[in-house]
Amino acid sequence: MLTPSIERLVTELARLPGIGPRSAQRLAFHLMRDAERAPALAAALAAVSERVSLCPECFAFAEDGRCPICSDPRRDATLLCAVEEPSAILPIEATNEFRGRYHVLGGALSPIDGIDPEDLRIAELLGRVEGDGVAELVIATNPTMSGEATALYLADLVRGRVRVTRLASGLPVGADVEHADELTLARALLGRREL
Amino acid sequence: MRCWRRAALEFPDGLAVLIGPNGAGKTSVLEAITLACVGVSPRTASGGDLVRAGAEALWVGLDIGYGGQLERREIGYAPGRPRRLRRAGQTVRSLGEWRLPGALLVFLPDELRSVKGPPAARRRSLDRLLEAAEDGYAAALGGYQEALAQRNALLRRVRAGETASTGLAPWEARLSELGARVAASRRRATALLSPIFARRLDELGGGEGAAVAVEASIPEFATVADDRLESTLARALHARRERDIAAAQTTVGPHRDDLWVGRGQRDLRRLGSQGEQRLAALALLLAGRDMLSTTAPAPVMLMDDVLSELDPPRRAALLRALATGGQALLTTADPLAAAEAEHCGATRIPVQAAA
Repeated sequence: MLTPSIERLVTELARLPGIGPRSAQRLAFHLMRDAERAPALAAALAAVSERVSLCPECFAFAEDGRCPICSDPRRDATLLCAVEEPSAILPIEATNEFRGRYHVLGGALSPIDGIDPEDLRIAELLGRVEGDGVAELVIATNPTMSGEATALYLADLVRGRVRVTRLASGLPVGADVEHADELTLARALLGRREL
Repeated sequence: MRCWRRAALEFPDGLAVLIGPNGAGKTSVLEAITLACVGVSPRTASGGDLVRAGAEALWVGLDIGYGGQLERREIGYAPGRPRRLRRAGQTVRSLGEWRLPGALLVFLPDELRSVKGPPAARRRSLDRLLEAAEDGYAAALGGYQEALAQRNALLRRVRAGETASTGLAPWEARLSELGARVAASRRRATALLSPIFARRLDELGGGEGAAVAVEASIPEFATVADDRLESTLARALHARRERDIAAAQTTVGPHRDDLWVGRGQRDLRRLGSQGEQRLAALALLLAGRDMLSTTAPAPVMLMDDVLSELDPPRRAALLRALATGGQALLTTADPLAAAEAEHCGATRIPVQAAA
């Protein structure tokens, strides 16, 4: 009962993360029901694939050359924050605590998956650290096995040239100490601060 | 499950003996209890084997608790479908959240592997005990194994000339940090366990002077202080790089440790008779219960067909040991052994699955 075009749409939708065949069908039928939905979505998708590229400086998403953060002269050029993926920038920006610039590595080291230093944008990061008058590198890779190993690798590379810092691990704000898992609590103790 | 279409059993607080002929389904009862506590069978890795022939699915419900507070745990399984886990009527998605690692100690006839098996079997029985005894041990061990797999993958790639060996450093740092935690916990636990093991083995008629200790793959680990374990492991990993690249695997670290099980100078792992090894495995299990009981409710002991292998005095000693200290379930096909157990205060539970 699916026409070839709907079938194709369902197949494409089902490739998205978190969407199974059933959800894909439901979304497809939803798009068919409203005459304006599908063209609007199609136009948005077309615009994204045509106009969005990677910022040549930091490799976050950008339109027309450099990304808004790299082209903003008010951002602190001495502070550089390394993240795994562009999606990590948004939450850090939302804190309003960071006024420096970013560098997207494009993943984390994982020999099992064949991801070596050459596969990440590490050479580009070193180039920026050496050339741009950077004073501090903030490493904001994920606190996973791969993210931690990547952080250690980067720290070894740039140590002695600039200050290297790592995002702290600790207790979630508003939560109880008694409910924290032991690993997080141990990190929080190691990273405790003077009051 | 297995041979059971439907059964409901209730177990007393102390010692109980399941008596029935061979093939009556006694072991399946122990297996069902294990399944409802940890989600996997001690006998088979394949869930399909557990479903009764001709049935579509299995279900086990277990009311377990301490001090009158019972909690209903349920597990359902059908081949090819995801496992269903419930606790107190609520569906639980993650096995890690649902399982109760410290609730049981299981002795199947192949538990002898904890004494005479390969080093991996002895490490596993020590790790199981530590996972139950120490919060965070399972996470540290899991992280260590993950870092180990990453370093091994990198060693293979370096050997194949696909990438530079400079990439090894961060993985060695992670391995050293987590490996030191694993090693420190194992050392602490065996130090606690060893005198209890010695007392238990002596009680069971296995003689005095027994001991367990970690045999580390890095000799310095035996003497170095806890806060030096990390740097010692880091140095050992660094020193082995060339050899490890050639072998494409990590040749030192807690994943290569063994557990010494002996009496005096005698290495029971290699030189012990079958009988000595059986007693040592039982004493290790009892010592494990003693150790866990100091900080948490005593784990339930499930012991499959253990009485028939022991001579009368040792059988009596084991029954005496099991008559106190918590709940224990034994199986036997031998009416005389069951009578002896009853004499020691065990409740008799006849078992016979309908054919």
